[in-house]
Amino acid sequence: MEAILFYILSAVTLIGTLCAITARQAVRAIVYLVTSFFSLALIFYLLGAPLVAAFEVIIYAGAIMVLFMFVIMMLDLGHPEKLTFPKIRDWWPAVLLLAVIAGSILILAVSREPATAPGFTAITVREFSQALFKRYGVAVEIISMQLLFALVGALYLGRRR
Amino acid sequence: MSVTDALAIMPILIAAGAALLVLLAGPFLQARSISWIAVVAAAAAGVWAVVYPAVGATVTLPGLAFTGLSQFLIPVFSAAATLTLLLSHDYNQRRGIKGEEFQATVLFTLFALCVLACATNLLILFLAIESVSFAFYILVSLDLEREESGEAGLKYLLMGAVAAAIVAFGISLIFAGTGTLALTGAFAPEATRPIVSAGWGLVVIGIAFKLSLVPAHLWTPDVYQGAPAPVAAFLSTGSKVAAAAFFLLLLAFSRPLAEIHLPLYLLSLGSMVIGNLAALLQKNIKRMLAYSSIAHMGYLALALLTGSREGYSAVLLYGAIYTAMNLAAFGAIASLSGAEERGELTAYTGLGHTAPFRGAILALAMLALAGIPPTAGFLGKFYIFYAAIRGGETTLAIIGIVTAAISAYFYLKVVVQLYMREPEGAAPAAPHQGTPAESLALTCAAVAILFIGIYPSPILRVLDAALR
Repeated sequence: MEAILFYILSAVTLIGTLCAITARQAVRAIVYLVTSFFSLALIFYLLGAPLVAAFEVIIYAGAIMVLFMFVIMMLDLGHPEKLTFPKIRDWWPAVLLLAVIAGSILILAVSREPATAPGFTAITVREFSQALFKRYGVAVEIISMQLLFALVGALYLGRRR
Repeated sequence: MSVTDALAIMPILIAAGAALLVLLAGPFLQARSISWIAVVAAAAAGVWAVVYPAVGATVTLPGLAFTGLSQFLIPVFSAAATLTLLLSHDYNQRRGIKGEEFQATVLFTLFALCVLACATNLLILFLAIESVSFAFYILVSLDLEREESGEAGLKYLLMGAVAAAIVAFGISLIFAGTGTLALTGAFAPEATRPIVSAGWGLVVIGIAFKLSLVPAHLWTPDVYQGAPAPVAAFLSTGSKVAAAAFFLLLLAFSRPLAEIHLPLYLLSLGSMVIGNLAALLQKNIKRMLAYSSIAHMGYLALALLTGSREGYSAVLLYGAIYTAMNLAAFGAIASLSGAEERGELTAYTGLGHTAPFRGAILALAMLALAGIPPTAGFLGKFYIFYAAIRGGETTLAIIGIVTAAISAYFYLKVVVQLYMREPEGAAPAAPHQGTPAESLALTCAAVAILFIGIYPSPILRVLDAALR
């Protein structure tokens, strides 16, 4: 049951992301990305991390995507650009990358037993927060400093001159 | 967090507190007092690290510790930040860069650098190195009047973001393979060795970008040229030493795999050869110094390659010496630049006579970068090649020595411009009077270059303690 759900959700995630990067219109790309975030959140839920799933929906699919949408609407970027189709010789880095990835997957598939996911136990919000603010408390502080200075830098660079 | 913890990581707290103080007090104080607060705080962080005993300073905070290595690195970082702040006050006034954001961001960079020096797990290490890059994205594009500055910032940001993603992927693969984020416990079990070595490969690619090793070096000349000169001084010292320290921490604690020898060998070879040869062709002094920094990072990679304690101590020593040399070189450029950046080499013709003090500092920095005794540059190169030959990298060491000899040509070209050329046509604009803060910063850098070159035993003793 879980395995079937997982495969459906991963297919949705992959297709959603693929559509997001190929969509010509920015607004459509965002809607595709939100879809893929939602199914990613459900995958986290299946892995026994309901809190991460909730964060994925609230922060990524909710706050950040709304912000993107807001900027696109405000700056009126909704019109698709006329793109010329890439020439054949521009394709080789992508092809090379694809070959490397496909090769790795092939080697993994041939040489190994299929990996089984270890059993996950759901953790509570209390355990999660204790791990976050005790074990990773220093990391949280560093990230908050970094975000503060992201704000400072953005304000400075956006200042009217 | 107990009192002993707070005392042990005081440099981090000083830098963070001062950055916030500068931001909060900025609107109420004059630019001069802001600069002085920042300078005093940055210097205090370094002095604290020197004075506080590293032995017995156990920290209960997860992911941080005040070790001998931190005791060596924090003063170097703090010196770089202090001198940058001293150099930039008058430079910013001449260039119309206003606001307390500059000082606050430099202090934030120092904060991240101190965290990096104290990090004991991969997560903190990654966050610290990314915070450093992050601060530099802001600092590089801070000159709003000049288009090149913004262009350099954008280039650095785009390349840096890709490199950050690669490093993060590498670290996550190492974590997947070893099951721990701790630096000390991260050795690869046989079963997961392919995953761990893939992780190492990605980390090497990311670090190659951060150290600007060939072939991940293309951003360096543009960013150095576009960045304001004091920022270029800080970028070429703080961020490079930080990246080298990041790699050194990984290598020293977690038993490097044999697989990374070949990539590192090629990176070092390419950087030494291409960096020095490309520098020969440059007409702009900042681009020339950028290629020279690529070559110098190639030497650092050579010392890292040996995997021996001697190699690691050569990396740290060279990091400290390189900081002094580049601060002197870019500091002199900053001080000689007026409302326009003095970029072209021809603009330096005869400046050794019209601005004797700053000309002499620039000449000294060039001689040191070329590795001519009795400057510290010679000592640093000597230790690197010595460690390389002892570590069995004789071929690469010989190539390094040959390229170092070639590099003397373009460094000495600057000295020739300063003292021995008559200006063709119109003489370059006479530089304005040097200010006390700039003179103080340049004197400190020059004294460090000469002192380490002539009397190196104190710093070698500290180094010995740092790597124990």
